[in-house]
This record gives sequence, structure tokens and C-alpha cells, in this order.
Amino acid sequence: MLALAASAPRLLTRSALALTPGKDETILVVLQLSGGNDGLNTVIPFADDLYHQSRPTLRQVAAQAQRINDQLAFHPRMEGFARLHAEGQLAIVQGVGHAKSDRNHPGALHMWHTAEPQPPGPPTGWLGRAADQLWNPDSANLPAAFIGAIPQPFASNAERVIVPSLRTSRDLVCPPEEPLAAGPGAALLDHARQATAAAQATSRRIEAVRRAGAGDYPQYRLADELRTIAQLIRADAGIRIYFTELGGGGIGGFDNHAGQLGNHCSLLEQLSASIAAFARDLQRDQLFDRVALLTFSEFGRTLHENGRRGTGHGSAQPVFVAGGRVQGGLVGVHPSLADLDQDAQKVHTDFRRVYATLLDRWLGLDSRVVLGAPYAPVAFLRA
Amino acid sequence: MALPSALDPQQAWARFEPDARQPWTLALAGHLYRRAAFGASWPQLQRALAEGPQKTLDGLLRPAADVAAFNRQLDEYETPPGDDRSATELRAWWLQRMLRTPHPLLEKLTLFWHGHCAADNAKAESAPAMQHYLQGLRRHALGDFRALLAGLVREAAMFASHQAKANRKIQPSPGLARWLLEAHLETAAEPDVREAARAFTGWFIYADGLRYIEREHDAGSKQVLGRTGNFDGDDIARLVLEQPATAATVVRKLYRWLISESAEPEAALLAPLVMAYAKNYDTFALVETMLRSNLFFSPSAVRQRVKSPVEYALGLVQGLELSIATQPLGDALAGLGQSLLHPPTVKGWSGGRNWLNPATVAGRLRLADALLRGGPYIENLNLAAIAQKHGQPAASFFAKLYLQDETTPGHEPDARRAAYATAAQPEFQLA
Repeated sequence: MLALAASAPRLLTRSALALTPGKDETILVVLQLSGGNDGLNTVIPFADDLYHQSRPTLRQVAAQAQRINDQLAFHPRMEGFARLHAEGQLAIVQGVGHAKSDRNHPGALHMWHTAEPQPPGPPTGWLGRAADQLWNPDSANLPAAFIGAIPQPFASNAERVIVPSLRTSRDLVCPPEEPLAAGPGAALLDHARQATAAAQATSRRIEAVRRAGAGDYPQYRLADELRTIAQLIRADAGIRIYFTELGGGGIGGFDNHAGQLGNHCSLLEQLSASIAAFARDLQRDQLFDRVALLTFSEFGRTLHENGRRGTGHGSAQPVFVAGGRVQGGLVGVHPSLADLDQDAQKVHTDFRRVYATLLDRWLGLDSRVVLGAPYAPVAFLRA
Repeated sequence: MALPSALDPQQAWARFEPDARQPWTLALAGHLYRRAAFGASWPQLQRALAEGPQKTLDGLLRPAADVAAFNRQLDEYETPPGDDRSATELRAWWLQRMLRTPHPLLEKLTLFWHGHCAADNAKAESAPAMQHYLQGLRRHALGDFRALLAGLVREAAMFASHQAKANRKIQPSPGLARWLLEAHLETAAEPDVREAARAFTGWFIYADGLRYIEREHDAGSKQVLGRTGNFDGDDIARLVLEQPATAATVVRKLYRWLISESAEPEAALLAPLVMAYAKNYDTFALVETMLRSNLFFSPSAVRQRVKSPVEYALGLVQGLELSIATQPLGDALAGLGQSLLHPPTVKGWSGGRNWLNPATVAGRLRLADALLRGGPYIENLNLAAIAQKHGQPAASFFAKLYLQDETTPGHEPDARRAAYATAAQPEFQLA
């Protein structure tokens, strides 16, 4: 009897673990930088005279502090990115976008969200379609979640999966449990029971993680959201795709047509410090190896600053991929400042190649189903 | 759950008359109100139990109250002076209508059609256009489907939702044509879509609504669904209605809505309904046949649907016999995956098992908990008083009210906890 009593809790734990969806599965975090990030002041071509000539007030003269190589440097406020890069856990994929991209915010965002440059595009977002691929209604898993307080951007719009918007990990915590009635059930009732049990198991694990401590994050909204993601990863919520945002949605904070300097500095510091804290937090127990975090913006910006110390809507941009199994470093050449398209750097890497790489080689999906066509991978993941 | 293999269609669709073998019970009364309405209050359940299924259905199908007057009044509430309507307010008024209407079945079918002909305010960006669309759905929800479709192909919200705001002669927008064919026929061939799109040329959305510009209409001959003619948009709707697949599609979809989504019905089972529906597209007659049937009241139907968020929440509210703030409720339902007037795609909500994942279940339980505490939704909620008003002990009342469970002894004397314990049961997720 004693033996039985002692093993009963373990049996319970084991069956709870069996409900835990994929403890080793890879996780994609996608971070939208709303407004059109100025890639030229993020990854700075400090050795290029054209850069300095074109940006008399916006150019970063102290740029060398966060050197990537003898041509390029991170913005001086991006120490966190420089460290991640030095650790080999940050890839910088240059010249990404689409040659025919709209230079208006809604059109360009819609392209990145749907993965289709030609409007109107499909009725779902690329992350929504990936979530539909990951969805198994019989097991009631949770493939994707948006983390943030703004209306969910279109990228996660799915046909079948309900992608929740979570402000904190508490949003997945159930009220105190009530005993559930047992008894015979038809298929659909069993399904409802399984979904309820999964919600309650997730809820218990989240509460345990929350009790264990908040981690060391800076006081930024983005940092809070990344902390929430780290909590949910640690709690094995089973979510494979996290989508979050910096800049405030709509026509976001990165859209600096005037007085760009201070505002952009602050956003880059938030970006860099928040992601660095997220990486450090997850590195503690090797969880960063399960994560690939992609940043994107709707477009880069023009080379020349305008009369109001800002920049206009551009084209190509560098996107960042951070993670424990990322092949760190520069990918692709820095698009020339001498060969521009309407004052903006030209695209040499179709953004869908980045998506396809993450879908095929990271999430293990078939990117052709999600993107409608095959795209050559980009080398930013370790083999 | 599989349907009995030897289900005789005639027997299945014959009127359900309870007998000793299949008695009329509180459980079946609850089932009827979950499907033909948005749940029931205790007095409604008691009256249904006393009157029997067919008499209860008389009232649900043809309520004695002045439904038209009620709807006229709500139309007025929806349209404040100064025309500063928002889609969120429209959504909140619709939820009020679902809760207060003397004809809940009409709203249930309006919601069904909203899923089938899913217009989206995110694309229409116009509360007046969405209101007009919704009023059209309601007008024909239990009427003639041909009239419903004829209205929809002239509805600004539909054109906008299908990315067809400008239908130029030289550049037809295929969205609405594609939807008409794909939503009703098993397949839509690209040439048919292209030709049908030409028929819709000439329609443009302006700030004040939809306008027809004669010179932008392609008056040439078109070939659609094997027919040739100088068709316009109205003709395309007519051609779709002539296809035998259309009646079958609507009947199958309505079967999932009213009877069961856990088993795919055999074509032979639906055949008599399809044949009748194809004759005159009388949705009222179709719904009446389904709801009055043996099949509807059989184990093949009871709890064989997953509640949508609207059904889950309104089912709780109806039992409370109180008014509720529907604006925060509309937001909460959107969070659970059902944003009224803003469906995920033009295919509407996929529903069924897709409603339930660990986040939406946690969200439903949190909403139930908040509703039963009053939260931002209900003022001066006193659950014990509701049980007391009906002469019931709180411990067992809510299991009877919400699950028609007459066996749970109810150990929990606290009314709120007893009510929440009921709402948290997996069975309560099922309609």
C-alpha cells in the first residue's frame, strides 16, 4: 500500500508530462518593428563616405564602438546586439525586402504579413498559415500566440487556428480548479475534456514558472513581452510561434520623418537590450537553443536625411535572427550606397527566402504550402 | 460519434413525438434552447418541459410577440443621431438583440448567415455598410435564400470584403465572383471565376455606398457554369442557385449548425431536405424540419457541437435573467476567436474543434468566472437570489440550469462557486 501511495503522485506527474506538448520543439519568435526601421543607422556603414555626406546630422560618428567588421558597426546604443554577435548568436541578413515593395506603410506591411508583394494577396498571414499547418484540432495544442496590447497585426491571421493575444502569461492562467465530472463520453466530450485538462495543466505550469521569479529584464514594454514569451517557453505552453511588436503598431515609432536621432536611439536601445536580456534569460537553461527570433520592419529608409532631420520610406533593410543555433555574423553584402533606387538601398534578398528558411529548416514545415512557391534558403542557421 | 448506420431518412426527419422509450426531459429542453436560441432561463426550461417539444417549437419558430416592432426599435438604437456609429457599438447592439429578442432563432440564423456570407468590417471600414449588410441577413435569415443572395450581390460590405471595391471593365475584381462559386459549388473553375467577375463590372464603392457606373460594365457575352449570355452580377447569383450543389451545400452547412458537427451525414440522409430546399430555397421550412425531427432530439445530435464563444457566454447570461454590458462582452468574445463583424477570412469561422485550444479554454473559464462575479458585465449580480427566486437550493440549481444535470447533489453551498463549477465542466463547452 505504501509503495502504491508513493508512486501515485509520480504517475500523475508522468501523465501530466505526457500532456506536455513537445518539450524539445523549436520555437520561432517574430518581432515586428513598426514604422520602417532605418537600417542604415542600425547597421552603420561607418567607412563609407557617402553615408557621412548624406547624413550631416543623423550620422553616427561614434559608431566604431560596436564594430561588426572594418566597414560596419551596430548603432552605439546596441551593446546587447554587439555582445550577441560576438557570441555567434546573432545573424544580420542584409538587403532584405522586395524590389516591388510598396513604399506606403499599409501596403508594405501587408506584403510582409501575407508574404505576397502583389495586392490584395491571400486572406491569411504567413504566420497564420504556418499556425494552421501546426494545428491539430484533435490534440487541442496551441500553435501560435501574439504577445502585446495592440490589435493583432495581420501576419498571424489564420483560417482555422484561434491565435490569442496575450498581454501577460497570466492570461493563460485558469481560475481555481473545480472538480470535473467523470463518466462516459462521446468523442466530442472527450475532446472538450482533453482541451480543459490541457488548459489547466498549462495554467499550473505557468503559475509555477511565475512563482520561480521574473528574470532580469530592463524596464521596457518589449522586455516585458519577451519575458512573457520566456515564461511561456519555460512553462512548456507548447506554442511554436510567438509574434510580438515594437513601435506601437499602426504607423509605428520607427517612422521618423523628423527629429529621428533621439527617438531612433531610444528604440534601438530598447530593441537591443530587451533581446539581449531575453537571450541571457533563456541561455540559463539552454532554452535559447530552441529559439530563433526574427526581426522585420515594413521597409528600410532613404539614404539622405531630409530638411527636418528625418528620413523617408525606403526599400532594403537588414533583418536580424537571434538564437542559440543561429549561424552568427553577416549574411549577404551591404547594399551599395552608390547604386540606389529612389534614394534607398536596393533589395538583393527576397524576404520570402528568410521566411522559407525559418519554416523549412527551423519549424520543420513545408514552406511551399505556406508561401505558395519554393524559395532558396538563406544561410543563417547552423547545420 | 457515428450516426446509426441504418438511419432511415424518413424516420430521421419525421416529427419527434416523445414516448415512454424517448421521453421529453429537461435535458432535451435545454438542448432545444441551445440550438434554436442562445440558451434558456429557468422559467423557459420549465415552460418547455410542461408544453412538450412541438408546442415549444411553435413558439420558437413563430413567436407570438411583435418581432418586427422589436427589431425596428433595435434598428433605431443602432443608428444614433449624427451618424457616428462604430462597428464595436454595432456588435454590442447585436449581442443585446440576441439576448433580448422575442425571436432568438432569427438571430441564431442571422449569425449562421454571417458565417456563411462573411463580410468583414476591417475591409469595409464602414459601420453603416455593415449595419445594412446585417439587416439584409436578418430580413432573409429565415426566409428565401434566393432573396438573401440577391441582396448580397448588391451589398457594399460584401464587395469590400471580397477586395472588389472597384470593378472596372478593363480590370474586373474576381473576389465576390470567386466567393459565390466557391462557397456554394464543390469546385470553382478559374475560367468560370474570370467570366463571372466580368459580370460584376460596373460596381464601385464610393463614400456614400455602392454605385453602378453603366459605362464601366462589361456588356459582352460571358460563359459561366456552362451557360452563355450577357450576364450581370444578379444573373451570376441566379446561375449559382440553379446548380444542384448549392442547395446541398447550404443544407449540409445548416446540418452542422443545427444538428451535429461530429459526424459527416450521408448524402442519402440529407437527400429529402436537399430536394425540398432546391425547389424554393425556403430556409424557414428547412430549419423547421430539422428542429422538429427525431434526429434533432436523438443522441446523434445532443452535445454534438462545440459552442462558439457567443453561445458559451450568452448561455451563461440567459440563465441569469439580467441585463449585461455587451460592449466589453463583444471584446471578450473577440479574444476567444469570435469577433462579430470581423471574421478571420471570407470563409467565416471554421468552428467545431477549432474553437478549443488551451488559450481559448483558459479564456472561456476566465470569462465565465468574471461574468459570474459580475465583473465589468453585470451590476448587482446576486446568484443566490436567482436560485431562491425559483425555489431552488443554490448548490444544485446551476447544474440543473446550465447542464440540465439533475443528479449532481451539489456539495458547494456558495452560489457563485456552484455556478462556476458548472460552467467549468467540459460538457458545458458543448452545445
